[in-house]
Amino acid sequence: MTGLALTIARQEMGLDGEGALDTGAAIEAFLKDVERRAYRIALMGVRDRDEALDIVQDAMIRLVRRYAHRPSVEWPPLFFRILQNRIRDMQRRRTVRSRVLSFFGGTASEEEFDPIAEAPAPRSENPLEQVQADDAMQALERALESLPARQREAFTLRNFEGLDVAQTAVAMDCTEGSVKTHYSRAVHRLREMLASHGEEPWK
Amino acid sequence: MSDEKHDKSFEQITKRVFDESVAALDAATRSRLTLARHRALEELKSPRRGWQWTLAPVGVGTLAAAALVVWFTIGQAPPAPEDLQETSLNDLELLLAEEDLEMLDEELDFYGWLEEQPEFVSADDSVG
Repeated sequence: MTGLALTIARQEMGLDGEGALDTGAAIEAFLKDVERRAYRIALMGVRDRDEALDIVQDAMIRLVRRYAHRPSVEWPPLFFRILQNRIRDMQRRRTVRSRVLSFFGGTASEEEFDPIAEAPAPRSENPLEQVQADDAMQALERALESLPARQREAFTLRNFEGLDVAQTAVAMDCTEGSVKTHYSRAVHRLREMLASHGEEPWK
Repeated sequence: MSDEKHDKSFEQITKRVFDESVAALDAATRSRLTLARHRALEELKSPRRGWQWTLAPVGVGTLAAAALVVWFTIGQAPPAPEDLQETSLNDLELLLAEEDLEMLDEELDFYGWLEEQPEFVSADDSVG
């Protein structure tokens, strides 16, 4: 490869000059920006705080290990694709575990979500506002749970994470047309379900 | 209000509700996320990135060969040729699945780390 071609290739990969030195700082800033939202999305998927944290850490490690050298614009869809795959893996593992338990005559009750154990520590200065915000989020989570998986993914990535249609298509490994269809259906179904909730902010 | 405006307004509300739940994360969770990020960034300092994937096909090939040897030596009755072809393909598919490659990746990480340990190096030197 000629010197010019090499320079262009390095520039395209974001590795030119100071860029290479800044990769660590750039990916740290990216992870810092997405980690809380990623955790909240993982928690909605698996409903277990420790497992959600494990999933986020795993997604971060995989992104850094495999894709740190890629241009930073590619990180969001790649990161959320890894995250969604990890969430699905965890859900599948749970299904298998509960089948094995039921085969041996046990129940999966110990594995079920315990809202008291999983509740985060109180943190708001205004408890009433916090209760209202929690109620609104719980209603949203319940509505999301009732959606088909692909609609839920499209809504999560587009609305919560703010990915555009093209980035969401990469994250979901599907066409942009499919993203638009899944997202539009998700919005309409959520709107219908939450309108019947009858309380702020959904009424 | 038109349907499109309704949708936009609804999307803004869901985003706000989600953002509020993120902002309300407790300190313990935030702290654990910071630790997770630092753990992930340690990967940037790892000198072994890259080479393990050049060895991965060799490892997978070895595993596939071992699986075939076990299949032919332990099996009781020889299966019908078409069954054998189908089952072997299924086995190969399993061996080449993403999870297996990832397991191999982690194993190679471990051997790389082991090689760097002083006890291992000195023990190896003393043999020769």
